[in-house]
Amino acid sequence: MKAVLCASLLGGLLLIIPTGCATDSDYSSLRLTGDPIADSRVAIERGPKRDRVLWEYRAGLAYMRKGQFEEAKRLLDDAILSIGGIKTADSDSRKARGYFHSESKKTFLGEPYERVMAFYYRGILYWMDGEPDNARACFRSAQIEDSDNENKTYSADYVLLDYLDGLATAKLAGDGSDADKRARKLDKTGSLPACDPKANVLIFLDFGQGPHKFATGEYGQELRFGEGNQRVRNALVTVDNQSVRAPAFDDLYFQAITRGGRVMDHILGNKAVFKETTAIAGMGAIVGGAVLLQNRGTREVGAGLLALGVLSEVVSAATTPEADIRAWDNLPQYLSFVALTASPGQHTMRIDFQDAYGDAVEGLSKTITLNIPVGSRDSIIYISDQSTSF
Amino acid sequence: MKLSFLRSLSAVLAAAVVSGCASYGVKQPSGVAAREMKPDERGFVSGTGIESQDIVAVTDKMARGIMGIPEIANAQTAPRIVVLPVQNDTRFPINKNIFLEEIMALLNERSGGKVRFLARDRMAELEKERDLKRSGQVTSSTDVSVNKFKGADYMLTGKLVGQTTRTSAGTSDYILYSFELINPDTSEIIWNGSHRIKKQGQDDAVYR
Repeated sequence: MKAVLCASLLGGLLLIIPTGCATDSDYSSLRLTGDPIADSRVAIERGPKRDRVLWEYRAGLAYMRKGQFEEAKRLLDDAILSIGGIKTADSDSRKARGYFHSESKKTFLGEPYERVMAFYYRGILYWMDGEPDNARACFRSAQIEDSDNENKTYSADYVLLDYLDGLATAKLAGDGSDADKRARKLDKTGSLPACDPKANVLIFLDFGQGPHKFATGEYGQELRFGEGNQRVRNALVTVDNQSVRAPAFDDLYFQAITRGGRVMDHILGNKAVFKETTAIAGMGAIVGGAVLLQNRGTREVGAGLLALGVLSEVVSAATTPEADIRAWDNLPQYLSFVALTASPGQHTMRIDFQDAYGDAVEGLSKTITLNIPVGSRDSIIYISDQSTSF
Repeated sequence: MKLSFLRSLSAVLAAAVVSGCASYGVKQPSGVAAREMKPDERGFVSGTGIESQDIVAVTDKMARGIMGIPEIANAQTAPRIVVLPVQNDTRFPINKNIFLEEIMALLNERSGGKVRFLARDRMAELEKERDLKRSGQVTSSTDVSVNKFKGADYMLTGKLVGQTTRTSAGTSDYILYSFELINPDTSEIIWNGSHRIKKQGQDDAVYR
């Protein structure tokens, strides 16, 4: 009887302990509104520190779509400080590797396509500030983020990153032909603008809804990506009655699904095997222990086996192989670009976002007044189908 | 006997689980307080990019190189130098002023007045001040009608070129820092100095 009591106490104790370990603050006490800018203020200040970069990504892009580029710069610079270096072990990453903490306990830096986009947007902002060499540095870092793929066919295969590297190099009086050749080899549209250093109006466009993450597998240990609902497939840029089609040169959903397996997937796989093994062993021990308990001569051994079975079940329950599905959820799916040459002065530019049939999607067209300055500095325009200001 | 064994086993297992879900294996669970470090010291926050210790090492080497050339060391009158922006051809966005500002500061400190720098990056403000003096709105200690801004004897500029390799074994970054002192009258490069830094590292498994 004492043995049974002891086993029960142990089981109860072990059920309590793992739940008591979760000391990280979460979002239950925060009032989130769905507005990335307002939410990021609250979450960065009072939310989990491990999600800081995630909120900086979301708010940085939201500011870009509002035309508040200084704010975007501040947030993206801070995020890039985290993603730009060598990401060595910290307490959160060690936890994420352990059996009893989920992957989402690690500091969020994002999957490669998310890290690429942080550098890409920061590159646009550097170019706006008249620093094409620092912009090029960002585009190169972005391409490096995409270079660690399992399948090398899809390694560093962003069309625009190589194209912009080549264009910036040409504008800096260098030889950008290698990067330009790489971009043209990757481009499937055949519409990539010429690498013309005299082009002085550079229009960065993005549209569509970026990939979302979900988990599959018995324990949710497999990270998967889903495609958003896409209405916009192209853009049409019209300046002073001259129109240029802007197709999607890069597709973030394609980039997300062609990354291949991660080292972390092996860790999560091991966690899943451990969870399953301890659950089966635990159940076996409990059943065996229960049988042995029926016999007076083997009752104490049965109690011990039962206790071990309960312990094994508790360990199994506490094992967390779930994949991290936190995502930069306001990313676009498609990236496009137009380079134009315009004389100094005022011009009217209209951008229509088109569906798969080439029809303008209602409510998304934008009209902008361009003031092209005299001098050599480029006019950099960033427009998304979700932009509200420019 | 068996019961006491069971109790001991329970206690050991419970202790193991408790220690397993506390801060076991976590270095500095309370963080690391801010502390002042020497700029040439490699800190605990580091990557494969351009860092303060690289800037100090590179600029120190360049300043010593410039001080040693005969055109500067043996000049009868202090040569006037204009600094041009550094060109960044690496994958790391940088504050481009920092290298030349640092070299200027080191040369000013160490040369004892043997070189002078021209404030070309302040031309708009300088022209405004000169115009105020010429119009008589503000006073001047010299004859402003004949004063002219000085021309440069030399131009100092630099370039950072990088090469990156990334494989499953990690990331490697090689950066060549090169600086030149150019005579604008002849386009002659009178001095060229360079420094090379290579760094490697690998991300934690949870980020790979």
